[in-house]
This record gives sequence, C-alpha cells and structure tokens, in this order.
Amino acid sequence: MRMSPTIFERFGLGLLALLFWLSTPVQAESCETVRAAQSSPQISVHCGGAPSAVFDADGHLWVAFVLDKHVYVTRSSDEGASFAEPVQVNAEPEDAEFNGENRPKIVVAPDGTVMLSWTTKTSSQFTGEIRFSRSVDGGRSFETPRTINDDGLHTGHRFDSLFLTESGKLYLTWIDKRDMEATLARDEAYPGAAIYYTVSSDMGASFMPNVRVSHNSCECCRIAVAPHGKDNVAILWRQIFDDHIRDHAIAVLSPQGLVSELSRATVDDWYIDACPHHGPSMVAADEPGQYHMSWFSAGNLHAGIHYARYDLGADMPADLIKVDGTPGAGHPSLALHDGTLYLVWKGFDGMSTPLQLMQSQDDGRSWSAAQTLMSTSQGSDHPLLITSPRGVFLSWYSEEFGYVFKELSND
Amino acid sequence: MIDAALPRLVLGAVLSLVAVQGVHADNIQDFGPQTFAQIKSQHAGKPFIVSLWSVDCAPCRVELDMLGKLKQADADFPLVVISSDSIDKREEAVDILQGYGLDGVPTWMFADTFVERLRFSIDPQWYGELPRSYFFAPDHSMKAHSGILTADKLAEFFPY
Repeated sequence: MRMSPTIFERFGLGLLALLFWLSTPVQAESCETVRAAQSSPQISVHCGGAPSAVFDADGHLWVAFVLDKHVYVTRSSDEGASFAEPVQVNAEPEDAEFNGENRPKIVVAPDGTVMLSWTTKTSSQFTGEIRFSRSVDGGRSFETPRTINDDGLHTGHRFDSLFLTESGKLYLTWIDKRDMEATLARDEAYPGAAIYYTVSSDMGASFMPNVRVSHNSCECCRIAVAPHGKDNVAILWRQIFDDHIRDHAIAVLSPQGLVSELSRATVDDWYIDACPHHGPSMVAADEPGQYHMSWFSAGNLHAGIHYARYDLGADMPADLIKVDGTPGAGHPSLALHDGTLYLVWKGFDGMSTPLQLMQSQDDGRSWSAAQTLMSTSQGSDHPLLITSPRGVFLSWYSEEFGYVFKELSND
Repeated sequence: MIDAALPRLVLGAVLSLVAVQGVHADNIQDFGPQTFAQIKSQHAGKPFIVSLWSVDCAPCRVELDMLGKLKQADADFPLVVISSDSIDKREEAVDILQGYGLDGVPTWMFADTFVERLRFSIDPQWYGELPRSYFFAPDHSMKAHSGILTADKLAEFFPY
C-alpha cells in the first residue's frame, strides 16, 4: 500500500470525522432488547434477516428484510435513527432466502415505485425461484409476488441482484441451472451453473424474456451490478475458467438483451471444486468504462480480499492490492461519493469481528490505513455501503447491535 | 419381581434418553466453540478424517456420497462429519445425510451464530470454502484439502 504525506494530510479531516463517528453511541438496539421491551415478539428491522437498504429520491431510507417466511419493507425519514411499522410484501409465506449472499433486494424509482426481488428456496436440492414484487402506492401495499425465471423448471434460480439505471431500466440478474439440467440430461458434463438476466422498461409491470449471459458460472456467489452508460449495466461474477478455476468475469448487458463478450476481470488462479459463497463488490469509477472491484479469492496468485480497478477498454485490472489476507476476513463492499472511494469489509482476529474501512482519494491508486469502525464478538451479516447524494452510509446487521445504519462520510 | 421391573427400567431409560435429546431423534450434535478440541481428545493417539459440508453446497454432496459408501463398507472408519449450517436446519441436514447412509453416525452442526469463531476453532487458516477436509495422523499432525475429496485423494492423504 502506498501512502504519500499529501495523501495522509488529505485524510486528516476524514480521520477526525471518523473519530467523531466512533465516539457517537450506536443508536441501534439488538433484537433481544427490542423483544424484551414488548409484551409479544415484534416485527422489527432489528430482528430481521439479511437486510438491504436504499435511499429514494426524497432522501427517505427504505430497508427490506426477511422474518418468518415473509419479506418486509420499512421506511426511515431520519436516516435510520427510527423506522416506521414494517409492511409485509408477500401475504403467503414462502421460503425466502436470507443469508449473506442471498437477501431481499430493494430499489425505489424516482416516481416512487418500490421494487423488490428475492430468491425463494423450493427444495433442499439447490432449487429456487426468482421472485419480484412492487408497490405503486408508496410502499403501503405490495403486488402479489411473481416468479421471474421463465423456464417453468424445478431447478436452481438463485442469487438474484436488482439494479435500476438512471434511464429507468430495471435489471434483474441471477444464477440459473436450466442449461446444466439440459446438458446433464444428454449425459454431458456441465461445470457450475449459468448467469441469466431480464429487464423491465416499465418499472416492473412487465419483463422481457430471460437472456443468458454466460455458461459455467460458479453456483453460489452474489453478482455485482454497476451502471454502464445510461441504459446498460456491467456485471461482475465468479466464473469457472478451464473447468476448475473460479475467478471473476465481467460483461456488459443491454436492455435489448445484447450481451458483450465476457472478459476475465481477475486472474487469481483459484483451482477449486467448491462453493466459496463469497461474491464480489463493484462500483462504476468516475472515468467511463472503468470499475472499482473488490473480491475474495484463495487462489495461487491472490489469497484474501483484493481491490483493483478494471478498465473495459484496456481489458485489464490496474492498481491491484491485497486489502486483507487474514483467513476469516471477507465480504467487501465498495462505494464512491464525491471523489472518495470507500471500502468496508469484515475482519476476524480469532476472538471478534472488526468492521474495517479504508478510503482512497485518487481512484484506488493509494489508500488510507485500515480503520476499525465497530467490532462484535457475536454473529453478524455482511456489511453493505449505501450511497445517497448526501454521502455514504454503513448498513449492517449484528446480533449485538441489531440493525445499524450510520453515515461514514461527513460532507 | 425382577422380570416385572425390567420392562419398567428399560422404559425409564428410553424416556430419559428422549428427554436428554429433546424432540430430536437423530444423531446430530451441537458444535460449539469447544467441540473441536473435544473431538480431537476423543481421537487422542488415533488418526481421523474431518469432512465439513453445508446443505447449500452442491459439491459437498459428491463428497458425502463417497464418504457414505466408505462408512458402509467399514463402520469403524474414523470419520467426523460437521455441517457449517445452523443446527436450526437439522431436519434438512438429516434428510440429506439419509440419502448417503450417514444419518446413523454421529455428526455435528454449528450451534453458535458467531460462525467465524467456530470456523477458527477448527482451523484458523480456513477461509470458509466448502467442502473442506482434514486428515489427522496418529500424532495429530494435520493436512487440509479444499474442494471435493475423491477416493484417490483420500487414499493419498490418509494412509491408515
């Protein structure tokens, strides 16, 4: 990691802000506290599984989570200090998945349409369906969930990601096993699964037919999505190269169903026939066609959490660094706001899980030293970074603190 | 007298066994922060194999299939099977283990939500990828393997 004095000086203010942040008590409360304060168990964001969060155009925070086979949505008008009564999305209970790599996703369009996707498990044989619901009355009620995979097969459709472009194209991507089933039926080998996607151009009223992005993806890692121009997106996922190497691929998708040729975004040489359950994070850099990526690998070339900036034009990564090589460290999340790049991840020191943050002011060419934001010695979810026009926020669920939503930037 | 008392004693023993195990009539045990040290001391001076899996891991099923056949051929094979799923998923795990003939042997499931600490208690160098297996020699020197364990690899790593 390179650090010049000027960079360090520029971080001085940021450090002060961080110290202030650390000295502010965490307002969130654990599920245990919430339940103890009520006569009966309560539906609360502090008790929900695998929450995800987004800001709407008016600066309201929306959080989706899973509790007892239902997806819920709750809203906050004070950036997470307090939350409104959660609204149930699916009236009929379903086995909605909620873990680090599989969580309900939520986006809110500028017109106020609230849209959600999640994966519902349909058996213990890795089968599932990609589900979608939306609210057109400002989150007061939700439409009956629909299944978005259009093959009608009882097979794997899981690990969904949802993304809305500036131009209003809603992308839904996921890991799909329809091609694997068809290939195995012919007694041929099919390493891994496939990546599929669809797009809605009318805020989730309808979706185009499912389109395949790639054969032979890894089966169990979340897909990262970032904008590419106004209409397109770039996606980053763990792909199987040469039948046994599980590194990352990047491709550009269009709302017409056109898929660019995939590029190998990371060369870690991770030879493994196993499930890492460890997907990447990606945000678009200010320079068009460039992407900040952070990922995990235990490859021969790179082991641990890494960062690099990928240039689609040059077709190669730049400024690759090892962020944290400690076993147990993982699940990075990136955000870019006002020229500052934020990278948060979970460390592990043998006794507790520190949430680590580092920042870059020069597009990932140099980084601040890692700072510990919070630490817990109980169970916790992956940390997520949420961006608004105002700044960057940490969204994190842990048993000890419940759901924490806190600003990291101070501008 | 003795004849009459015996069925009652047997019934009493069965009832207390049920009480100890709660409502779960399976062979799955809680895996906590101290469990791995206990497993090692139970195998003091003896070689054994550890196989880590989860219900959500497709490649793990290939390995469980191989291990199930091995266990059926040799009931004394020193195999320790641990699922990194929460023990809340025990019914799903039992269903899967049944399919490989492994429901009759004691196995463990993570019984603490602080999974990072449980993983660390098994092996500080493990990143959490599955399947993962360990080969302990009689002196408990250890080799680790990530990815599907094949019969060939097992023979190579575990010549006991």
